[in-house]
Amino acid sequence: MPGATNDFLVKIEQINLVAQNTFRISLKQSGISRYVHAGQFVNIKIPSNEILWRRPFSVHKINSVQNTFDILFNAIGRGTAALSKMEVGQQLRVLGPLGKAFVYPENTEEIIIVAGGLGIAPFLLLLQDMADMDIPKHLFYGVKTGSLACCVEEIHQLGAHLHLVTEDGSEGQKGLVTEFFEKYLLSLPVRDKRMVYACGPHPMLVKAQELVKRFGLKGQVSVENMMACGFGACVGCPVKMARPTESKFYYLACTDGPVFDLDEVILDD
Amino acid sequence: MIDARVHIGQVCFDNPVMVASGTFGYAAEFEGLVDINAIGAIVTKTVTLEPRPGNPPPRIVETPSGMINSIGLPNVGVEQFITEKMPFLSTLTTRIIVNVAGKVNEEFAQIVARLDEVPGIDGYELNYSCPNVKEGGLSFSADPAIAEKVTKLVRQKTKRLVIAKLTPNVTSIGEIGQAVQNGGADAISAINTLVGMAVDINSRKPKIATITGGLSGPAIKPVALAKVFELVQCVNIPVIAIGGIMSWQDALEFLIVGARAIQVGTANFMDPGAATKTLDGLLSYCRENGISRIVDVIGTLKT
Repeated sequence: MPGATNDFLVKIEQINLVAQNTFRISLKQSGISRYVHAGQFVNIKIPSNEILWRRPFSVHKINSVQNTFDILFNAIGRGTAALSKMEVGQQLRVLGPLGKAFVYPENTEEIIIVAGGLGIAPFLLLLQDMADMDIPKHLFYGVKTGSLACCVEEIHQLGAHLHLVTEDGSEGQKGLVTEFFEKYLLSLPVRDKRMVYACGPHPMLVKAQELVKRFGLKGQVSVENMMACGFGACVGCPVKMARPTESKFYYLACTDGPVFDLDEVILDD
Repeated sequence: MIDARVHIGQVCFDNPVMVASGTFGYAAEFEGLVDINAIGAIVTKTVTLEPRPGNPPPRIVETPSGMINSIGLPNVGVEQFITEKMPFLSTLTTRIIVNVAGKVNEEFAQIVARLDEVPGIDGYELNYSCPNVKEGGLSFSADPAIAEKVTKLVRQKTKRLVIAKLTPNVTSIGEIGQAVQNGGADAISAINTLVGMAVDINSRKPKIATITGGLSGPAIKPVALAKVFELVQCVNIPVIAIGGIMSWQDALEFLIVGARAIQVGTANFMDPGAATKTLDGLLSYCRENGISRIVDVIGTLKT
């Protein structure tokens, strides 16, 4: 079945250090690269007997000529550290594509992306998916310090207007990404027909959600969560529903998400 | 051709490899990822009388060679299970065991009585042993008198297979095993998860919202083997082994110890094809060792 989720054995085509402690791995598998949409993820088995769970990664970008797809990660835990030490030509078990993708309403006249740190990961593919849409694309991208910023050239190439923000002011503007997102929203004479996409650290998402609500915008968020399986079996990744029913309080990040409308989930607890 | 069949109660299973409750959803989650009908039996996620939302996050944490979960039995309740989950399960040709849990003694029998009106179910696994629900849970299999009583109540409602799933979190699992045997269970499945805990040293908070949860995965396999070994010596009814089975070698250990069948659990999360790979490995082992029937391996421990 074309486009179906599958557990692929996938070869590493490239592994690059693209920013401080930030790695990008290119993996060759047309079963994923052809069918994946921005916001969807893959779940990767780390080749170590000591690491039980797979690790979920948003698909970062694709190359439709080479049939590759990329993941982007910081080597911070045991799993990602092991992954960062893999070599070109080695193989990985990759389950995907998984989860729900971002949606773009037809009448959207402008998109505004808010990304914090590694939260940039799904947005290159989003810009690739939207390459044919001739509308303004603003990308507010916040990192702690300039050496952590990646993909800047590609973001420009994909036609996005980049607003780079660093907490220490070492590059771009100094402050928090949500401050500049808010200033931008305040500067707009009209705000309808704009779509916001957010991914990043929890406090950033909470602030972005609050701003989207306050300014009456529409938006989506990609959440991160612990997952044992990634396809709805372990039920370990609940996300609180904004409008719970009598017996259902939670979505699952893996199958109901990881992309949610900002007004359908509760992020702030 | 290896004869992989095993009999439990009145039911003949094509092979002894089942999937454990709570690790395989209601099977539809695995469609396209594994040949579901090649698995000996599907044990569903727990069904309760009323719908349950489950526990707040975080529900799971990875630990060395294992994981702790406190999911809290979220499910749609028995009526929606019948209308929403049974249609897919009914299309399967393999055996279907529905795992059920009640809040009070009588509720197990009440759920089973309702499910007994529905075709396409081969048996019930009584979840006496979930450590993660406030009401009841553990108590049903911690007290032999209650375990026997609840089993008896269920037995009166059904001619289908009745399996009692036991917890290792007791002083004597053999005593509980004898109690459910007296209550009329056709088989025992063991073990459920071990009560476990993990702490974040930075925040000093437990890594599970309910503080403690159930430990599963390869970390618990040696405990499971010992408990299954104890059970097979204490009861006459078949024992279905559960606990950290990640490979056919693990499964074989349990069969040698005396389990009639095994359930693959946590491994399904990491590899949706874990159960069929386990079966394939067992069949290859039999072929290579001139064993024509899988049952000939069962209970062959040399002590």
